[in-house]
Amino acid sequence: MKRLLLAFALLLPTIAMAGSLQPLTAADVPALLQPPAHGVRIIALWALDCAYCEPNLEALATLQRAHPHEIELLTLTTDSIGQREAIEARLRSMQMDRYPARAYAEASPEQINFLLDPDWGGETPRVLVIRADGTRLGISGALTPAQLQKLR
Amino acid sequence: MRRLLFALLCLLPPALFAHEGMSMDMPKSPELGASAAFDSHGRLYLVDAADGHVRLRHSDDDGRTLSAPVEVNALAEPIYAEGENRPKLAFGPHDELYVSWSQPRAKPWTGFVRFARSLDRGEHFSEPLTVHHDRAEITHRFDALVVDGNGRIVIAWIDKRDVIAATAQGKPYLGAAVYYSWSDDGGASFVPERKLVDQSCECCRIALARMPDGGIAALFRNIYGDNIRDHAYAVLRTGGTVSHVERATFSDWQIAGCPHHGPGLAIGSDGVRHAVWYEAKGKPTIWYGQLDPGHAPQHPLAIASAGASHADVAVHDRTVWVVWNQVGANGYTLMLRRSTDNGAHFDAAREIARSSSAVASPQLLQKQGHAFVAWNTAAGFRLIEMPR
Repeated sequence: MKRLLLAFALLLPTIAMAGSLQPLTAADVPALLQPPAHGVRIIALWALDCAYCEPNLEALATLQRAHPHEIELLTLTTDSIGQREAIEARLRSMQMDRYPARAYAEASPEQINFLLDPDWGGETPRVLVIRADGTRLGISGALTPAQLQKLR
Repeated sequence: MRRLLFALLCLLPPALFAHEGMSMDMPKSPELGASAAFDSHGRLYLVDAADGHVRLRHSDDDGRTLSAPVEVNALAEPIYAEGENRPKLAFGPHDELYVSWSQPRAKPWTGFVRFARSLDRGEHFSEPLTVHHDRAEITHRFDALVVDGNGRIVIAWIDKRDVIAATAQGKPYLGAAVYYSWSDDGGASFVPERKLVDQSCECCRIALARMPDGGIAALFRNIYGDNIRDHAYAVLRTGGTVSHVERATFSDWQIAGCPHHGPGLAIGSDGVRHAVWYEAKGKPTIWYGQLDPGHAPQHPLAIASAGASHADVAVHDRTVWVVWNQVGANGYTLMLRRSTDNGAHFDAAREIARSSSAVASPQLLQKQGHAFVAWNTAAGFRLIEMPR
């Protein structure tokens, strides 16, 4: 039993991180915007139709790997979870499937866009940074190296 | 120990066990991208996509009831039908019915522009054809469709052949290109496509409008300098002359990204070019202005800000209507601002419809001088007549 428990405990983080795409509804947004206990949460917003998003996600993943204890990274696509197959395939091809991944649970994204950040008009890529002190930062477009370094 | 294990099991979010095909997945409902238009008899037609078919429905009571759908493409194929990429509909001078759409190909961001016509008011359609002669598996998407004053069918789209060629040669190239083609034979065939401009935005709809002389003008998001995404205006020449592209907005919004937000254009019988466009250099803003290509627009007005999206514009005599989607915490409202002095002043924004479910971009239509808004919502298609 102890071994089973140990195996299970070891598995937990892996399972929690696994690339099972989760829906994000309007009701889920407040929890997502809660400040993390420490460091920053980076919500990397992307879209299937956005060619700029792939290098941006890769840059964010590189940053997260350099600061694994400070940065909690998750991906959030503005595409509907109805496109699960295409979204999961793209996440795998970008090697982003190791991060928690969510997709809008709405056919029209504007409402979730607005709830996440009323000052965001839906352009992608978009990064939303939530710091432990409750402050937030939103940046649209592919991040420059200088912008990347300011996210932490 | 067992209790601890049980507690650990309980900690696992139930959604972790949801996988493709399981009941927790949302049902795949038809995407909301749709277009509507009135024919010369006042019959409303609507195209959208479902199950691999562009489908056509009509209404003889201004949208209250819709006919059973007719499949435009008999053979199912993938169809873009969301956001800025939706099936289009236009009429020829004798109510010939023309439909275009973009067909996703296997690779990401690829597509072919497709076209079919009906010569019997939508009862039967020709076999779809691919509009462009280029058959590379690349982006030819975001089609825009219009009929000019001579009955010529004009289609413009976003095309990535030049960025791919430039990249292969190690040359810098931002964005995509705009190409266009036309049909002189009522849609039986299209002439080889012509490039309008290099380095345009990749993911925003192109607005096409008929000018008083019957020619076609285009307004689209272009790239200036280092990813400044302002708009360009051009008359689409279908003769021997070359189209002249000029910068028409000067917002200086810089973004290496996809705004997913194209402009709207309506040209009055007096030639005034009424435009609406979106930019987010500061706060997200929808602008109205009268284009003066080469210079900043005249009568610029910030129509709406945070939560506003996907505006459309129409003009009849000296009345100008601007509509847009306004999102809030509780759903969507369809908003209107109207000018009765040809765009010099607009009245205050007012709500003309509301939806708690998802909505598509609003589209302004006119029938005998009366304006309507076609608004496709997840709860059903709606046609809203403008308050008088």
